[in-house]
Amino acid sequence: MTVVFGYVGLWVIWTVIEFVFVTGRWEIIQVNLKLLLVGRFPDELMWLVGASLTALAFWVAAVAGGSKIDLNNVQTIPQRLFDYTRRFGLIVALAALLIFLAADIAALLLAFQVLGGVIVGRLVGLARRKVSVLGAIPSIIWHPMLGSPAIALVLVTLMESTLEEWGGFLINFYMAIISIVLCFPLGVLLALGRRSSFPIIRLVTTTYIELIRGAPLFVLLLLAGVALEFFIPPSIAPDAIFRGVTVFTLFTAAYLAEIVRGGLQSIPKGQTEAGKALGLSTTKITYLITMPQALRNVIPAQIGQFISLFKDTTLAGAALNILDVLNVGTAITKQQDFLGQGLIYEALAFVALLFWVGSYVMSRESQRLEKRLGVGVR
Amino acid sequence: MSSEVFKDATRMSGGRASDEAIVAMEGVYKRFKDFEALKNINFQVGKQEVVVVIGPSGSGKSTLIRCINRLEEHDDGRIIVDGTELTTDVRNIQEIRKETGMVFQSFNLFPHLTVLANIALAPRQVRGMPKSEAEALARELLERVKIPEQADKFPAQLSGGQQQRVAIARSLAMKPKVMLFDEPTSALDPEMINEVLDAIKQLAQEGMTMVVVTHEMGFAKEVADRVVFMADGEIVEVGTPSEIFDNPKEERTQKFLAQIL
Amino acid sequence: MSSLPSAPAKVPIWRDVRVLRWLFQIAVLAVVGLIIYWIWGNYQTNIERSSVQTDLRFLDNPASFTIPGNDFDQSSPVRAAFVQGFLNTIQVALVGIFFATILGTIVGIARLSKNLVVKTIAAAYVEVIRNLPLLLLLTFMNLAVVLQTFPRIEDAWKPLDLFVISNRGLAIPWFEGSAGQLSLLVLAGIVLAVIVVRLERARADKVGRPSRALLLGTLALAIVPVVGWITLGYTWTLPFVDGRGTSGGLRLDPSFFALIVALVVYTSSHIAEIVRGSILAVPRGQGEAADALALSNSQKMRIIILPQAFRVAMPALGNQYLNLIKNSSLGATISYFELTQIAQITVGNGSPAVPAFTLTLLVYLAISLFTSLFVNYFNRRLALVER
Repeated sequence: MTVVFGYVGLWVIWTVIEFVFVTGRWEIIQVNLKLLLVGRFPDELMWLVGASLTALAFWVAAVAGGSKIDLNNVQTIPQRLFDYTRRFGLIVALAALLIFLAADIAALLLAFQVLGGVIVGRLVGLARRKVSVLGAIPSIIWHPMLGSPAIALVLVTLMESTLEEWGGFLINFYMAIISIVLCFPLGVLLALGRRSSFPIIRLVTTTYIELIRGAPLFVLLLLAGVALEFFIPPSIAPDAIFRGVTVFTLFTAAYLAEIVRGGLQSIPKGQTEAGKALGLSTTKITYLITMPQALRNVIPAQIGQFISLFKDTTLAGAALNILDVLNVGTAITKQQDFLGQGLIYEALAFVALLFWVGSYVMSRESQRLEKRLGVGVR
Repeated sequence: MSSEVFKDATRMSGGRASDEAIVAMEGVYKRFKDFEALKNINFQVGKQEVVVVIGPSGSGKSTLIRCINRLEEHDDGRIIVDGTELTTDVRNIQEIRKETGMVFQSFNLFPHLTVLANIALAPRQVRGMPKSEAEALARELLERVKIPEQADKFPAQLSGGQQQRVAIARSLAMKPKVMLFDEPTSALDPEMINEVLDAIKQLAQEGMTMVVVTHEMGFAKEVADRVVFMADGEIVEVGTPSEIFDNPKEERTQKFLAQIL
Repeated sequence: MSSLPSAPAKVPIWRDVRVLRWLFQIAVLAVVGLIIYWIWGNYQTNIERSSVQTDLRFLDNPASFTIPGNDFDQSSPVRAAFVQGFLNTIQVALVGIFFATILGTIVGIARLSKNLVVKTIAAAYVEVIRNLPLLLLLTFMNLAVVLQTFPRIEDAWKPLDLFVISNRGLAIPWFEGSAGQLSLLVLAGIVLAVIVVRLERARADKVGRPSRALLLGTLALAIVPVVGWITLGYTWTLPFVDGRGTSGGLRLDPSFFALIVALVVYTSSHIAEIVRGSILAVPRGQGEAADALALSNSQKMRIIILPQAFRVAMPALGNQYLNLIKNSSLGATISYFELTQIAQITVGNGSPAVPAFTLTLLVYLAISLFTSLFVNYFNRRLALVER
């Protein structure tokens, strides 16, 4: 048994190594790197992309750094570094590969800029824990405040460039992020509605959630591709990315609602009773006591949903003819210089690598969080 | 038992029944689907009285005190707390909840807030107290329950006994007129029961009106002004601790006491 | 007398808890209603402006396209095309679910193996596949494997002389005869097998010997179709290259093949995780109790662990099956004529888009609902009776 499987495994590994280092012709990727990553994004505005990335990295690092989950975690500096390497080594390796392929000093500088954003973000997050003045600011203000540079930069990017110029991995990434941010309020409201004791509200929200969950995302995108303009005022002409984001937002909101509902259900009834006994109103109990706990408990599931959404952005490419990275990947094999040379393997391998690294690292982090959260919750 | 008989019995047994009952329940019924949890409850608690409610599980003891702060809705009869009647009027419910404090069997502390924040939450949100004042009050109360050093910790980091004492402090922060205890020590390991009972005794000595549902008979003997025995949703017998424990009149009371003492 | 006022004060309506509850509901509904009204208003305005058809009359129009792998007539109405698409979707769903479950279960159990090599390979399989988008896998299967790697029909691979693999599809040996009749025979075999198993178990209980139910049941299941096969004169046919295609056997359309493989591989990686998780979820004490009772390893798995694991896994498995059915809609990206592709083609041929896609959506919803009910039924039957 071992021999058979061992042989198969070794054969696979050998084939892959041979493909990557020997027989693979990677010029197609090198030449088209910009197209794959950002489509036809105007060169003079590229700094916006870099800046938004940095701002996003800052935001995530700040939120993570300020979290009170790891209170009992005392690690020495070398242990910390080893831990970070293990967790994020793959991303660093991918970034190195991209810089190598780009062969451009600007890419290297961007990498350092993003790293800087991460470090500053982590320090700011830590500062919130130690400095009581900062800690006094309620989370509901602090987190969006930290995110405002990122949000502002994304909005500026949207305004300065036309959406036709967007393409490649940029689209997948941004569509996912914009949708997950926008779907949050709706998802939370739906979750509350589903658990409501008012029959009509419950019926309406349940119907919406079950309708969306029973429908294939691909078909919803196709429908939005032809039908969305009928439901909005004639003055707004929806373009493909707008349609995509709308569908992703409405879609993910339904799934998020189920996740949050699960979280709310797991909060012991005694919590609301204690709130009531203290004289708190139902609204206050929800947003001071039950919601914060529920949302925190389901962070791993939320991350899982984001990963799904991230991978599903490829569907927008197929349904709405958006030039996302997968579409670009298949398109570049038809370029004059590369036509008919069977380079589809290289193209798809590169696209696969981008998605795989992102997805794998995020799901590992989510598993790690799940373990830590399990300890902290009583 | 009609309210007159109830009051006479109380007066004869030396209880401090006064004309200003903090809690008064008259003819209260509570049904869960097809099960009657409370039947014809007539019950009063006078100012600064400590009433201990005992009885077998399922007798309706918890339901009784949960009706007082509207965690359960009574189906018939009237409940009046500190002059305000408990009806479907939101303002009344709110008033009554401000004036009653409850300590639960499973503590029910808010795990995502520090001990200090747990205690300061209600004064800030319900009475509109400014943050610094609320926190000062919280620290004072922590001193009273003898755990001032735990202020910045999270509930998960405290022992059960400490958590329950924080729960007591949290209820006291609203300066209630009456405290309700729903089996406060039933979920504690034996070595921690005493620290919580001591805190409750201290409150009694300081003159707090309280209704305590418990199985701790020693505590009842020591601190109660009156003991109420409940079974099958009814109040079976009422009296001073010595009357109930040494000289139970009803058969059900005798049976129950024989089982546990 | 104590401070009981003579009669309860009347509760003002605006402070009554019950009234407030209803007012809140009505307010929320009003807001939702307004939103729906606004959307509806937009819809009406836009429809008037663009004179687009919004009803289902298009279903009666001739289809004007053919469906590969089928005798679908160009002049048949569109509605018949939709039925065909629906059947294809069901076909993909059944075949996909079957193979995905088998593969997923094997990989899931392999991940728990004590053999390091087996365990690592299974783990690698799951971790690689799970983190890739399905569309990527599907594109890979279609463009890279089928169109690129598979040889042209002249140089087709013929493994074991039983199969013919080319970029025109995968041809497998198949029988010649009515498929419907054979299915009935298989069904009859299942019924017979159930009867035999019940009888054998009862007999074994009475006599006190280990039951040979599994053996006899399988025999019964096999006997009916085999006897039917022989008596009705079914024969096997092997595929062979015939000009630009193959004759004999059954040729699986290349898109169908690509879609099935992608769906099976993708879904099996998720099923593997579910199976692994469900086996791990069975409390350790169960295995220990089985060991203490001197049950053999296979008995332990068969009687104690797997049934309990299955109970845990059922809801999640049902969810994966639903996902597979919904994901089959991606067949449209590689021109496999399942339901979504049919819709796209008819729209391309002039059918109104909104009703066509809405109809498609409703069909998927119906399939999902039906499958959910099915899975829920199973769930309830499996649920442990609790105090």
